[in-house]
Amino acid sequence: MNSALFVAKTGLSAQDTALRVISNNLANVSTVGFKRDRAVFEDLMYQTQRQPGAESAEGSQLPSGLQLGTGVRIVGTQKLFQEGSIENTGDAFDVAINGRRGFFPVTLPTGDTGYTRHGQWQINSDNELVTAEGFVLQPGITLPAEVQTLTIGQDGQVTVVTAGNTAAQNIGQIQLADFVNPAGLEAIGQNMFLETNASGAPILNNPGEGGTGALLQGSLEGSNVNAVEELVNLITTQRAYEVNSKVISTADEMLSFVTQQL
Amino acid sequence: MDKVLYLAMSGATENMRSQHAHSNNLANVNTTGFKTDLAQARAMPVYGDGLPSRVYAMSERPATDISSGVLTPTGRDLDVAIEGDGWFSVIGADGQEAYTRSGEFTVNAQNQLVTAGGAPVMGNGGIPITLPAFEKLDIGGDGTITVQPLGEGPEALAIVDRIKVVNPEPGTLFKGLDSFMHTGNAVPLPPANDVKVVSGFLETSNVNSVGELTSIISLSRQYEMQVKMMKTAEENSTAAARILQMQ
Repeated sequence: MNSALFVAKTGLSAQDTALRVISNNLANVSTVGFKRDRAVFEDLMYQTQRQPGAESAEGSQLPSGLQLGTGVRIVGTQKLFQEGSIENTGDAFDVAINGRRGFFPVTLPTGDTGYTRHGQWQINSDNELVTAEGFVLQPGITLPAEVQTLTIGQDGQVTVVTAGNTAAQNIGQIQLADFVNPAGLEAIGQNMFLETNASGAPILNNPGEGGTGALLQGSLEGSNVNAVEELVNLITTQRAYEVNSKVISTADEMLSFVTQQL
Repeated sequence: MDKVLYLAMSGATENMRSQHAHSNNLANVNTTGFKTDLAQARAMPVYGDGLPSRVYAMSERPATDISSGVLTPTGRDLDVAIEGDGWFSVIGADGQEAYTRSGEFTVNAQNQLVTAGGAPVMGNGGIPITLPAFEKLDIGGDGTITVQPLGEGPEALAIVDRIKVVNPEPGTLFKGLDSFMHTGNAVPLPPANDVKVVSGFLETSNVNSVGELTSIISLSRQYEMQVKMMKTAEENSTAAARILQMQ
């Protein structure tokens, strides 16, 4: 069969995967703390059809051979951890990390620790700080009853003023986890990341120390997806898809021509 | 048998091979730092007893087009592109030094600076670059990597290494089977000091999709011409057989 068909097929499927990555980014353009992905393309192996330097006849050598590439593949997706823009919400339970490094550690239902940049905290029935999915912040912060004001400092100190007690009391310290190679984290959805061998072990620090960002109460970190950039990528991906499908139709016409004529 | 059948068949086969080369270029129209493979056909006369009237075609890859792609901004610290001529040194699949223009680097679990496909990036000293845990990383215009180590202030900036970039004579590099560029021998090239590196940019593929598509269409018409020749050869041979039958 015409080998160009299979090469163009790799092109189509790679562009198709890239489109999926782009559409996922665009779908999450408003997701708090979302980090965008980028598809990484790589050309596939080459096959030697004719070795350069081989004897074409006695005493004469082929000056150049024929090495044919076998197409393209997506070697992986890269999470890009650039910081999203910080938006002021005014809600005392909204906490943004002002800096590129650092994740809130939370306990997942599986017992594992997940890491997130999504700082939209809520309270569960036990008065603990939890994510929108109900995963408990680590180490846990339990609010006393009748809280009037909640203050989360830049350094992660959590203080409250309760009804009938004007003195602020410190109820805990939020810590941030940092990784040697954040790009090696595994994204599992729900804005959560898991530690892997590639990311290294988490290094816990108080916010603002050890390179982690300081906390900003009353703000949220937006997604770092740039809609314009993604739309431009969408267009180039679509055009690349089109040229590859044109190759397929051309190769198909060649095959159909030969079967009809001979 | 009429030899024209075989001549046309070899022409069609070589057209298909050439089609394969062009479709590989088009498949890589979005691959960072990809370099277009050129394809050409060469006439190969067959000598022997009698007239050398048979000339077969042969497709070959005379070279790779190493012209630069377009630099596009990405804003990521570990994305690097080369302005003008030059190549990044990496360790290829065969363990030898190989060269690439694709600067989509990442850090692997061993803290090595690697390409997106996992090939370690060479430092100027001829050994792969290992990065310490860093808070911030900068790659200078000559490939020098400066880091602010994790947990340290901006006063503790340290130079880790310099990315090895080479600038060999044009035409001395050829694309190997692992899609990196290689020299003919196993001797690593000396580092070049005049190559300009920009961080936060990536080089696009240099494939000219319009040119490649045109080649594919023209090759497909050539192929049809070869098939037509085969058809004509068949008709000739049928006609000759019919004449012989009548006598």
